Amino acid sequence: MLTTTRRGVLAGGAAMLAGLAAQRQAEAQGRRILVIASNQDIPNFDPHVASGYSASMALRNTYDSLVRVEGNPPKPVPHLAQSWTVSDDGQEYTFKLDPAAKFHDGAPVTAEAVKYSFDRLLRLNRGNAWMIAGVVDQNSVEAVDATTVRVKLVKPFVPFLSVLPWVWIVNPAQVEANKGEDDGQTFLRSNLAGSGAFKLRRAEAGNLYEFERVANAWKQGGGNLTGAIWKITRETATQRLMVQRGEAQIAVDLTSEDMDALKGRAGVNLVIEPEYRTFSMKMNTRHGPLQDANLRRAIACAFNYQGMLDVAGYAELMRGPFPETIDGFDKDLPIYRTDLARAKEFLAKSSTPNGGIKLTVAHVSGLEQQRRWALVLLDSLRALNIELDIKPMIWPDMVSAARSPETTPDIFMVYQTANYGDPDNLAYAGYHSSRNGGWQNPVYSNPAIDKLLDDARGETDPEKRRELYVQFQRTLMEDSPDIFGVLEKRKLAMRNNVKGFTFTPVASNAIELFPLSLG
Amino acid sequence: MVGYILRRLLLLVPVLLGLSMLVFAIARLLPGDPVALAAGPNATAADVASVAREFGLDKPLVVQYWNYLTGLFQGDWGVSIFTRRPVAEDLAAYLPATLELVLAAMLLAIGIGIPMGLMAAVFRNRWPDFISRTVSLGAISMPRFFLGLVFQLLFAMWLGWLPLSGRFPLTEDPPPAITGLLTVDALLSGQFHAFGVALSYLALPAIAMSLSPLATIMRMMRASTIEVLQQDYVLTERALGLSQRLILFKYVLKNAISATLTVIGLYFGWLLGGTVLVETVFDWPGIGLYATQAVLTQDFMPIIGVTLCIGAIFVTVNLVVDLLYGLLNPKVRYQ
Repeated sequence: MLTTTRRGVLAGGAAMLAGLAAQRQAEAQGRRILVIASNQDIPNFDPHVASGYSASMALRNTYDSLVRVEGNPPKPVPHLAQSWTVSDDGQEYTFKLDPAAKFHDGAPVTAEAVKYSFDRLLRLNRGNAWMIAGVVDQNSVEAVDATTVRVKLVKPFVPFLSVLPWVWIVNPAQVEANKGEDDGQTFLRSNLAGSGAFKLRRAEAGNLYEFERVANAWKQGGGNLTGAIWKITRETATQRLMVQRGEAQIAVDLTSEDMDALKGRAGVNLVIEPEYRTFSMKMNTRHGPLQDANLRRAIACAFNYQGMLDVAGYAELMRGPFPETIDGFDKDLPIYRTDLARAKEFLAKSSTPNGGIKLTVAHVSGLEQQRRWALVLLDSLRALNIELDIKPMIWPDMVSAARSPETTPDIFMVYQTANYGDPDNLAYAGYHSSRNGGWQNPVYSNPAIDKLLDDARGETDPEKRRELYVQFQRTLMEDSPDIFGVLEKRKLAMRNNVKGFTFTPVASNAIELFPLSLG
Repeated sequence: MVGYILRRLLLLVPVLLGLSMLVFAIARLLPGDPVALAAGPNATAADVASVAREFGLDKPLVVQYWNYLTGLFQGDWGVSIFTRRPVAEDLAAYLPATLELVLAAMLLAIGIGIPMGLMAAVFRNRWPDFISRTVSLGAISMPRFFLGLVFQLLFAMWLGWLPLSGRFPLTEDPPPAITGLLTVDALLSGQFHAFGVALSYLALPAIAMSLSPLATIMRMMRASTIEVLQQDYVLTERALGLSQRLILFKYVLKNAISATLTVIGLYFGWLLGGTVLVETVFDWPGIGLYATQAVLTQDFMPIIGVTLCIGAIFVTVNLVVDLLYGLLNPKVRYQ
């Protein structure tokens, strides 16, 4: 028995050495493969169905969009579209496509393909379709000639260019040839029909996805990667070890503790940057005691913000509904900070001047950070003689609770991630009444806010638009529907031989491979 | 015998039907709103309703169940509402990894547990017995995921003998998929180097998984062997001067192993359903992780699919165990 075990161990050791040898061989052959450790699978590759950051990573590397997003603050830059013009009323966009652009099968990326892709996205109404829903319809996109696309918006929508990086263009010939009964969904779920710089080499559900660079890709330049592996690694501690040992070059889901552990390690660079991912505690403005705005203000003043920040790891306190780096942020916005005297003043004006009530806060069970913040809230509310019942719920239950004001808890903890780099994204999803019943804005509704947000969508003058968002922030602050919490920073660990990475605060964990090199 | 097997196979039908009904009902009656979740954060009420319609979730539960059942007979296990991937495809991707792990763990547990139990019984109250009892007590009281972490630290981090996690080196191509069990596939395609590599990745998680069944098997084997050794016929055989080896392997082992077989059958099902912690620690892309993800998001079809699949394997393994009784002990008759 002992012999067998020893033999097994020796065989294993030998195998490992052989494995290392194979890796060296790959390097000798000039393969430069970047390994990214992430905890999210990529179960679906259909660019008009899939969503989530892992799918965004896969799609932005294998498909192309009219424009790309780049920089901090993020800006749309040319991609498939070399240039574009916008009509004076902001409702007509004309894009000039790069004539060199071609799909993986060699067919050129034409204006027809662009129209086909928009139409398919709208027809399926999944994935990122919500970004253009109500703004673009089946008649909006027109192929003027082979390389000219005209998009007539149904109504003005200034952030249009900001959502375009997430509308991917498919090869119509390939989709049509494999259309089946579901508009090519079965085919595109695991096959590509794109024009991106990379294609899929190997897919092992739940384990890894290997990408390889397309030979003779239409887009020249970029980094020296020959391939990349998206390795699904559930444990953040394992992700950390992988970067530490050089088995992975990038880890994208690390905790603050992991980052601390990696600090000062040789060969590891840490990227800690504010991203457009907000955390707030939404109060039930339509049902229960928190319908009273003064009570809401009292709570916003009683809350221990420093206490929240202290347990938040790498984060900064929010100053209103927007991250500070987003265009339209009001830096003079009067905000609530811990001030017990002021809290008591507000409480005295409320319908429960002496407190004596019990509120409920719901948080996602298992999210330790949220539980700690609920405890900070519990402690803060004691000063107002308000009791707090902390209810951990699994996420589907929270989504279900958000459906009506009656079932929404008094206080509802929510992370909200911006999908595109425009203030419209966070503001509209989080505060426009059309989103009531969804978890991003279960109940809050104010016609004045709705009007401001609708106007801002159509305002083409940047100055006036900024002013509208300033008004939005002030009106919102007056209403005090949320305890504005923290902006958690994006935490990425990277081996120092990864070159060419620049941080963009939108979808920064959906790593873009094209510019990267391995040194 | 054939009649018995057929009867038992037929009995599988009501068992699995009952199981599917139960799981189907429970998955649907849970609170929560997976459909709204799947429709996405920006979905309108109409979008949510259209997703529900698409997956037939707006129909009465009985109709949904009937549709599922008829689909099942055509090989359609339903579709995940989140990933929109067919459950059958997912099971085919995840199940082989778990099966490989569980089979390896059971092989270790049986291969080591039975001889150890036998030895402990023969050398009762002497040092081999003490050692194996101590080892088994330690193994059974140590949680699997903790053992996994200790192994990782010791064999992967400090000694560097074995890989930390995963099933195969990232940058190498695995052997061509035949069964989905990497070690078996490597052997079938004659890639002995790949077999060694796959085995080195399999070793730690399989050992971590094997220890608790190993300990149980060992203790069961020890207890039943001691019992058999005290039987009169063993005394007679000794009196007739038969060799110890002959007595032990021809007469005692067969009689002692029946109870252990039951435990083996039960453990097989238990391990299949309980791999998630080991899979998490070792990043083993198996069915446990898939099921956990499905449960957390209340993704109906994968939950039902995994339960049915494990259920089917479990009853099949127990059928095999029942048949083995007869092979080992001719006294057992199948009527």
